[in-house]
Amino acid sequence: MINFQYARASDVADAVRLVASERTAKFIAGGTNLIDLMKMDVERPTKVIDITRLPLKQVERTPGGGLRIGALVRNSDLAYHPLIEQRYPVLASAVMAGASQQLRNMASTGGNPCSARAATTSTTRQRPAISASRAAAAPPSTGTTACMRSSARATPASRHIRPTCASRWPCWKPRFM
Amino acid sequence: MTSNGEDSGGNTRHTAYPSRREVIGGAATASVAMGMPSGATAQSLQSVSGAVAFSVAVNVTVNGTRHALTLDPRTTVLDALREHLDLTGTKKGCDQGQCGACTVLIDGRRINSCLTFAVMHEGAQITTIEGLAKGGALHPLQQAFIDHDAFQCGYCTPGQICSAVGLIAEGRARTAEEIRELMSGNICRCGAYTNIVAAIQQAMGRS
Repeated sequence: MINFQYARASDVADAVRLVASERTAKFIAGGTNLIDLMKMDVERPTKVIDITRLPLKQVERTPGGGLRIGALVRNSDLAYHPLIEQRYPVLASAVMAGASQQLRNMASTGGNPCSARAATTSTTRQRPAISASRAAAAPPSTGTTACMRSSARATPASRHIRPTCASRWPCWKPRFM
Repeated sequence: MTSNGEDSGGNTRHTAYPSRREVIGGAATASVAMGMPSGATAQSLQSVSGAVAFSVAVNVTVNGTRHALTLDPRTTVLDALREHLDLTGTKKGCDQGQCGACTVLIDGRRINSCLTFAVMHEGAQITTIEGLAKGGALHPLQQAFIDHDAFQCGYCTPGQICSAVGLIAEGRARTAEEIRELMSGNICRCGAYTNIVAAIQQAMGRS
């Protein structure tokens, strides 16, 4: 793992400012994907911005009758949330079917789609290793789990959260969402 | 369990022979030194490699004791416990979040300590296997693991027990099947699962 500068964001505006200040900066929340990839030098951020203290941990009702899930709601908190259990039991079951309880206690709701981990298995089997930058620019995979890759827009803010999974390895967490 | 080889009898071993950890640490230092020009310091090594040194102060409370650490931000909670605080009860298994050997409780929740940076846990309360026994009395789960012979080699056991503490605190497991599902993040290569489940059931008062 390369060395990196660590910064703790105090609020959302601070987090955006910090991530925009350095092209190779990355947000960290649960860390279960990012640290894993950093250990293999697949991800090499020079600045890591800790967003775990931001107030994004609520599951709220929306006026339209739906729910808004905070990006930092941990997987286990999501699955065990009374509103999710009552109104979206399939979502609760899906969350509980992934990973382990230790990982679900760490992994954030927002980090999961942002890191595009679920695409790993399908993409790595169908094409060789690609660099993170090429992965970001590549068209959607022909795999069954193209995930957010196809909907990422090249705006300055999304550049930093666009899925850039470039793992060369088969997914070693087959149960991970 | 009660006479942990790493903790008891340490004086004799440490004075007479270098421990396994000391030998490994010494070898690593020697290999680094060989690659460096004579007289080079750690600072110059960093400048040679082009990396900038960062260190971050972090305060954590581990098993009730507050520690002020200055860490390389790359240091995981697992490495901080083992290498900086000498709490080697927490084991490093896969180092990828698969095996659960590194499970500890942070603010009461079980997590994989290998997949989180220590600097992210400023002010956190961390409980490791060393912090479960109180006043010389084993934690009920530690006693249950002994009663049910819930281990063979013992390497996964600290993680299993910490995970089971978290499991019971969560209050979601009632049946043996649910215990197995919610303990699935802890791998035991010896295959002591049947006895582990029995031990947890005993500690839950459902034996």
